[in-house]
Amino acid sequence: MQHADLDDLELHRRLSAGDREAFDELYRRHCGASYGLAYRLTGQQILAQDVVHDAYLALWRAPEAYDPTRGPFRTFFLSLVHHRAVDTIRREQRLRNRTERAANLEVLTGEDVAEAVTEEAFLGVRRKEVREALMDLPPEQRQVLEMAYFGGKTQVQIAEELAIPLGTVKTRTLAAMRKLRKALEETE
Amino acid sequence: MTQSHDAIDELLAGYVLRSLSGPDAAETDRLLTEHVPGCVQCKTTLEAFGAVTADLALATPAIRPPDTLLPRLHRELEPRSGRAGRTGRWSPARLVAAAAGFVLVLGVGGLALTQLGGGDVPALASADLQQALQFATQDGATTTDIGPAHEIAAPGVEEFYIYGTNVAQPPAGSVYRLWVQSATQTVHLGDFLPTSDGTVLLRVAIDPTAYDRVMVTVEPADSEASEPGEPAWEAA
Repeated sequence: MQHADLDDLELHRRLSAGDREAFDELYRRHCGASYGLAYRLTGQQILAQDVVHDAYLALWRAPEAYDPTRGPFRTFFLSLVHHRAVDTIRREQRLRNRTERAANLEVLTGEDVAEAVTEEAFLGVRRKEVREALMDLPPEQRQVLEMAYFGGKTQVQIAEELAIPLGTVKTRTLAAMRKLRKALEETE
Repeated sequence: MTQSHDAIDELLAGYVLRSLSGPDAAETDRLLTEHVPGCVQCKTTLEAFGAVTADLALATPAIRPPDTLLPRLHRELEPRSGRAGRTGRWSPARLVAAAAGFVLVLGVGGLALTQLGGGDVPALASADLQQALQFATQDGATTTDIGPAHEIAAPGVEEFYIYGTNVAQPPAGSVYRLWVQSATQTVHLGDFLPTSDGTVLLRVAIDPTAYDRVMVTVEPADSEASEPGEPAWEAA
């Protein structure tokens, strides 16, 4: 476990006791990754703000939802943000004209929507490792993974869009997850 | 358990990515209840896949959210033992179900459903009941039927109540799920159960005029609140 994870653990313990300063510090530590993820999925600032807002408020109101025995706080919280973002885009899906900018990191970071944040050094290293692991996946596996994770699509929707059997989507997804697991566990 | 672990792993991979639907989602719910908790291999896989999905978040750049977001959160951070203040349209609703004997505080977005007990509960229940009575008797308050209950709203007030008596319990293992719907969105507000004497009293801290429809569905207690099922109660 990283030193930062231990800090998160202590902050979560204090937050659970109602410590608002601990809440602020957890916000500061994870808001950048959370907002970046929410923006990537929703493609809209207002929706991304709502996702992050709701996730932090849920954390404050039900801190016991995080079980430290099941992994680092960051894992829990980013999963929470992801789930909420997916729920949001599915709700908005039929009405919103999702712009290509959310799927295009270069365009996104080039816009003046928000400043990039300064993070702990290990997170920067981890980001690089994750991107490399993703790029090492066979393209067809990376495609289904990204459609599910960043696109918020169900496996049935992915099968329909790619005109491939549902079983193939499942097989590719599992293969991708296993490869990522192996690659990312090795680099921890 | 007749499935191979490869088949289960496929479902768990889809589950952590939140990409299952239909029979696969139902089967995974069953596995998560009946098989995974007692299977070391599956528990390990589930946690490892969960960690992978959290890491995937790092593939996208961190972006500093607007400076207004933390102050917005500060305005809504109620003391741990206290009550939430009024929230705006875009804020998650806080629901309080109150009746003599106990209070249900419902989590947002189906995250948690917690039954509270202890010394502070009667006071909170009493305060909620008193507040509801004051609300219902103010000038201009209107009542609309919603299933076996009533929606009580007042002009210019960004909250409303749902009140009912002799409300039947949902089938075992199910909860009532409250939604609001507008032309542009459907929002899950929370889950609730009537008290043992069939009373329902919900305070919903959002502007009812921002939505076209209030509805209640009956859903499995642990299910994901992504889309509403067929309304059991409805008020337009």
